[in-house]
Amino acid sequence: MNFEEQLLMELKNEIAHRADRRRRLTRRLSIGGAAALVAASAAVAVPLLTGTESPAYAVTKKADGTVRVQINEFENADRLERDLAAAGVRADITYLRAGQECKPGRGKTSGRTAMGPGSDAAARIVKGGLDIDPRKIGPNQTLVMEFAGNKDGSRLSETGKASWVLTATMITGKVSPCVVAR
Amino acid sequence: MRRKQAKIATDPVAFEAFYRRHVDAVTRFLARRVDDPHTVADLVAEVFMAVLDSAHTYRAELGPEIAWLYGVARKTISAERRRAYKQLQLTDRVGGRRPLATDDVTRLEERIDAERHARKLLEAMTELPEGERAVLELVVIDQLTVTEAALALGIRQSAAKVRLHRARQTLRNVPFAMSGASG
Repeated sequence: MNFEEQLLMELKNEIAHRADRRRRLTRRLSIGGAAALVAASAAVAVPLLTGTESPAYAVTKKADGTVRVQINEFENADRLERDLAAAGVRADITYLRAGQECKPGRGKTSGRTAMGPGSDAAARIVKGGLDIDPRKIGPNQTLVMEFAGNKDGSRLSETGKASWVLTATMITGKVSPCVVAR
Repeated sequence: MRRKQAKIATDPVAFEAFYRRHVDAVTRFLARRVDDPHTVADLVAEVFMAVLDSAHTYRAELGPEIAWLYGVARKTISAERRRAYKQLQLTDRVGGRRPLATDDVTRLEERIDAERHARKLLEAMTELPEGERAVLELVVIDQLTVTEAALALGIRQSAAKVRLHRARQTLRNVPFAMSGASG
């Protein structure tokens, strides 16, 4: 088989894989007992506590090798990236205002599952935070996470919980900067 | 939220037809700009991956697929150049390369050799400002019409005409600059 045929086969696999990923992520997820709204094909909304005195975020290394991230405020994405890198997680973090999203196509997507409920996912949403497994991020790969929410902390529900919407992708090689759509 | 997915990015049959229509043209487009068979093969793969990501940006009413596809290919090449510059030191670039059979390498080398004249012309254009060079390249080297070149670059047709005119003014003593479609 010449390389053109080989490539065509791989690309068709990629199309099937993407279709499968869209199906899986569009399914409703229930996180931490709260019913979560699926806002976009690859986005999951989870409750976020606001109005507390807690720091903007917390990064903790756990004994099982995963890294726990708790985000309280959308502040200092660059420092969070550095703290994650120090914990062995190569991540690209973007904070967006509510309803915003980055234009798709920020890099070459890989076959790995970036986010989801399954154990194959690099990032899992657990109790309003993220558990990230650095071993599921390959060499030369970056876990790209785009958080959209309300930075001003305006309350979305009567329980006083604001929410964020996370879109996660695993990108191989270079990650281009987020260009806000619309 | 996410736009409706274009058919070629979601339907394997539609994609295969698209791929077979254009894989040769894309390979030649890249062979005019890159003289290493492995890099050409990697770039062909990246261009078609980019097609899956950006298929929703194609508008049939604006012009032929090939003009849009050359636009995608140009962006892929410039991303590759930025990356090659940044990652010069990183050895894992080589590890990430597509495996090529000897036959593939030979065929690609023939393609690259066939395009050597075009590569020479491209070198002669390096002094032009980027915007003008881009139009001249697509019209003279890649044989697009001005309308198609404008589509590939995402600029207005009138702007493409102005740039082409300026580029030809600058290179008026170079014979090749006057060839190519003018429509």
